[in-house]
Amino acid sequence: MKKIHLKERQKSIILTILAILIACVFLFPIYWIVINSFKIDSEIFANPPTLWPRAFTLDAYKAQLRNLTVTFKNSVIIAGGSLCISLLLSVPAAYGLAKFKVKGTKVFMLVFLITQMLPASLVLTPLYLTFSKLHLLNSYLAPILSTATVSIPFVVLMLRPSFMNIPTELVEAAKIDGCNALSAFLRVVVPISKPTVVTAACFSFVFAWNDLAYSMTFNTKDAFRPMTSAIYTFMNQYGTQWNKIMAYGVLLILPCCIIFVTMQKHIVEGMTSGSVKG
Amino acid sequence: MRKIKKDTVLGYCFILPAVIYMLVFIGYPIIYNWLISMQDVTAKTLGSPVRDFIGLDNFITIFGDATFRASLVHTFVYTIGCLVFQFLFGFIFALFFTKKFSLAKPIRGFIVISWMLPVTVTALVFKFMYADNGIINTILLNLHLIKEPLGWLLDGKMAMVGLIIANSWVGIPFNMLLLTTGLNEIPAEIYEASSIDGANKIQQLFRLTIPLLKQTILSALVLGFVLTFKVFDLVYVMTGGGPVDSTEVLSTYSYKLSFQMFHFGEGAAVANVLFVCLLAVALVYLHVSSSEE
Repeated sequence: MKKIHLKERQKSIILTILAILIACVFLFPIYWIVINSFKIDSEIFANPPTLWPRAFTLDAYKAQLRNLTVTFKNSVIIAGGSLCISLLLSVPAAYGLAKFKVKGTKVFMLVFLITQMLPASLVLTPLYLTFSKLHLLNSYLAPILSTATVSIPFVVLMLRPSFMNIPTELVEAAKIDGCNALSAFLRVVVPISKPTVVTAACFSFVFAWNDLAYSMTFNTKDAFRPMTSAIYTFMNQYGTQWNKIMAYGVLLILPCCIIFVTMQKHIVEGMTSGSVKG
Repeated sequence: MRKIKKDTVLGYCFILPAVIYMLVFIGYPIIYNWLISMQDVTAKTLGSPVRDFIGLDNFITIFGDATFRASLVHTFVYTIGCLVFQFLFGFIFALFFTKKFSLAKPIRGFIVISWMLPVTVTALVFKFMYADNGIINTILLNLHLIKEPLGWLLDGKMAMVGLIIANSWVGIPFNMLLLTTGLNEIPAEIYEASSIDGANKIQQLFRLTIPLLKQTILSALVLGFVLTFKVFDLVYVMTGGGPVDSTEVLSTYSYKLSFQMFHFGEGAAVANVLFVCLLAVALVYLHVSSSEE
């Protein structure tokens, strides 16, 4: 009996070591982004490549400090604005679809399911023409409005199942205490669903933060460029200065990494429920 | 009766703003896109209020265009390549991480991070690693697997392989998660019963696991198809469709037609071909997932 137990433990240790190795190889590109942003120019293509910078330097960041701060600010504004629109619209919609018996629920769900599958490239040309008529090109509003369309369906699909699990009695009780439908939603439903709503906010932020197609098409002036399209433009101009490109990369992946590390469990759960039919 | 009516109105108040938003910013552009694709819209006619209706001319033009036909083929090659690669690895990862060992869950959760990162950065770091004297060539050279550095993104066929690998880096964790959910739903007793009957691990995999996972596998594949087929960022940043159009896909070609050559009508027509392909697969997906219930 003891022998079997020992064998099990050995097996567990071997599997754990194997898993760590897999994770190291798989996550290597992230390490490579970070570590190369701290190298000096001449070390980028050193042969053999250095896994740790010989001379650790912040030059890549310092050299482009102004660009980094402006584009970082633009990214924050765009992702923040998109997050607000997305939550304001999709949290109530998910609640309505979960808790109200309304004709057409199936059709509405279908609208979200299908729009979620459609790519930006499909609506780029018509939105460009529309925004240009409305004089919205080269503004924060164009990418904010368009990136919200990525997160709204995802958030609706992700939140609906969790709202369905809220006992209806809870809402009824709040109504007896003098709440109307809206205040019951804001004071009871949203607070008890806080973890999922926060996860939804994170996804909304990240989707807009990661967008390239919309921002690149609608905003061609440097003043409104977010980091994604700035890094692309930079690459076309200074193709081989990888340490500087990777410095952009580090700032770009930073929010995603922070969100991911602090909310890992919720994110992983939300990912599957938001992308498949809930 | 009145309460039901009031409830309905309230329900619509919650639901409709989001639905209307999606119809304005996605629904209307889709219809507008069909209109543009049947009009003569170029940089010259862009500002004019009346544009010539030219029927299916734009579609005839693009189907006569060798680059378009190539990009249609590339899109399918790319999508199927990615599907095979990311599904296979996703499945292996899912099987591996559902084994019971310490740290299995946190490590599995951690590798999902690649799905969250901006694709722009993923594309750039892979481009960097694929460089002539980049880390991948260096490792392969030192392991004596190759004699000369591979021109990863310089050769047409290799560039496609390079794109597929980079995309799979994003897609593997997604497939892994979907399949893990399915695997966890299979009761352990079934395996115990079959090992008593003398089935070995490989028999169990093909005779139990895969048949029981059929629905999950199907939705992972269809969903993966949709997500991969619409690729834009990765191709645009990594190869820009090159070298010499060898990795041009529908979305990048549509973008080029509209925003680099200013043939908006043709760009819209290419986007509509993409739309029809996606919609067909999306409908299959809805059918599959509704028969699941």
